[in-house]
Amino acid sequence: MKNNVFLPTFFLLWCAGWTSALADEVKCFESRKGASEVTQRMIGENLPNVKCSPKTGAVLWWGDPFDGTVPMGDMPIADADYTRGKALVKPRSDKVGLLPLCGNTCHTGVLPSGFPQNKDSRQLIMMHQAIVLDATKLPHGRSAIWCLDCHHPKERNKLVDHRDNPISFDQPQKLCGKCHGEVYRDWREGIHGKRIGEWASTGTKRWFVCTECHNPHNVQHGERNRGIAQHQPEVAPALPKGMKTADHERRHHDSARH
Amino acid sequence: MSKDMSCNPEGGCACSGKKAEAAPVESVSSRRNFLKSASMLSVNSLLGTAALMTMSDDARANTEWAEWFQGNYRLMSDEEKALARGRLERRYSREYAKTVIVDGTPAQEGVLMGYALNIKKCIGCRRCAKACVEENNQSRGKDQDMEWIRVLKMEKGEFSKEKMNQGYPEGLGIQVGGNAYSPAGVVLEGEHYYQADAVPEKDSVYMPIACMQCEKPPCVKVCPVRTTYREADGPVVIDYNWCIGCRMCMSACPYWARRFNWSDPNLPKEAMNPVTHYLGNRPRMKGVVEKCTFCIQRTRKGRYPACVEVCPVGARKFGNLLDPESEVSRIIARKHVFRLKAEQNTFPKFFYFMD
Ligand code: SF4
Ligand code: SF4
Repeated sequence: MKNNVFLPTFFLLWCAGWTSALADEVKCFESRKGASEVTQRMIGENLPNVKCSPKTGAVLWWGDPFDGTVPMGDMPIADADYTRGKALVKPRSDKVGLLPLCGNTCHTGVLPSGFPQNKDSRQLIMMHQAIVLDATKLPHGRSAIWCLDCHHPKERNKLVDHRDNPISFDQPQKLCGKCHGEVYRDWREGIHGKRIGEWASTGTKRWFVCTECHNPHNVQHGERNRGIAQHQPEVAPALPKGMKTADHERRHHDSARH
Repeated sequence: MSKDMSCNPEGGCACSGKKAEAAPVESVSSRRNFLKSASMLSVNSLLGTAALMTMSDDARANTEWAEWFQGNYRLMSDEEKALARGRLERRYSREYAKTVIVDGTPAQEGVLMGYALNIKKCIGCRRCAKACVEENNQSRGKDQDMEWIRVLKMEKGEFSKEKMNQGYPEGLGIQVGGNAYSPAGVVLEGEHYYQADAVPEKDSVYMPIACMQCEKPPCVKVCPVRTTYREADGPVVIDYNWCIGCRMCMSACPYWARRFNWSDPNLPKEAMNPVTHYLGNRPRMKGVVEKCTFCIQRTRKGRYPACVEVCPVGARKFGNLLDPESEVSRIIARKHVFRLKAEQNTFPKFFYFMD
């Protein structure tokens, strides 16, 4: 009798504790909403790993820029400074989170029979529609490419380049650079893209890879129709004391006359 | 004359018969010696006041009296600098209830700090401005909201025949904005206070502005007490303790980069960043000017400025202008670069660039 009461109570308490722990957790996104996220925690006395924006949930400040990173690994290009072994990335490959179902088919490398084996574009009927609604009209490359131009047709946990070489999710630049060569060159030089850590050219840096800032499944996002998705902006600075509105900023000489 | 009534070189005059308890005996600057001999009585009365003031919780009253008499940071000896920083560390740690570091790392040989910003990439999200506040201990809140970086929203435009006669306000006979695009705005042709659900907005470009760390800084030229000066590795800094709040520098700066503490800064204890530099982000007081220092507390230690790290589009680049391999040097070598108001001969070390 005693045991019968005890067990459910225990579970109730355990669940309650668990959910409240979840509620306390603050998660913020790093560069782009929907890409990498971090959970706020203390990494030292008075030192949080990140500070986050109360308005947008974006990371505003890194306590440790190298938290959770690994060396970028081999890069076949000689003139970039990551050959000095100081380039770090935040790994994503281990996060290709798979439901048990996915691990039984496709993502094990065994495609079910009757599954089309060619690269011809076709509608997705059962999977991944949440990511791409209409695979034949991908808003990237203006519908000229589709899923299997970037995702490995057989090794489903890998990307693929145009010579069928598998590419890790940690290094999408090897794939993206095949088309966007000029940008890739600038990225290697540090002119394009985001890095955090040490500023010296020989310093240790965490490199943000392409997909941490760009959404590869929708680069034509938003009104400006450019590579970067629209973001929610942070709040405007407070108006100077005594100023009621900022309307004066929005007035052209034309409209001032009216 | 009894021994009590005499003056001695270490402890100052003890005319009241008792040595003032609150007097730290650490700072022995020439200025203090001068003050000692010139006006012992008034110094002594100040000591008494300081002793009273340290009882109070008010942050300004807690300022150690020695702070009032310290020299210009640039002219202090290394020991005096260390003493001044130690004093501040103690005071800040008390005020903000955490261990505060006031660093004094000097300029490094062979470094000239420079900045580059890709004006075509900026989406106007203002994360840089907020990251700066997190890092640099600015005053926040409704009464005094201080931001060193301002992001201006501007209209996109192009030259066209139809707009040939626009930009001439009727009756004024002067040209404002010319044929560049639709008629120019009244003041800055830009909005500081834009509100939007999502940025970038259609047909808008954004231009963040902060201190350009001029090589020939007009702000430095006008400072009557020489408390703002250019450091050897580039940044223009302020010794807040020596600032008299005359705001000459603010009117001299062509970039509107400087801000003034009209009232006591509001810096919540838990939000305060305890890793500071004497010439950088240490908490300021009422009546002094402040501005961007290229995050001197971070960059002197090798770390990127906070705004560089936070920019979601990687528009912000920082590095050593003397190193041809640095990110800024490569940008200057390869991209179209301009400096704001270069015609003012300020020689900014902040470069705007385009792909
Ligand atoms: S931008 Fe203004 S505050 Fe900064 S160095 Fe130049 S003149 Fe001085
Ligand atoms: S964080 Fe970058 S994109 Fe956002 S306003 Fe600042 S410079 Fe522009």
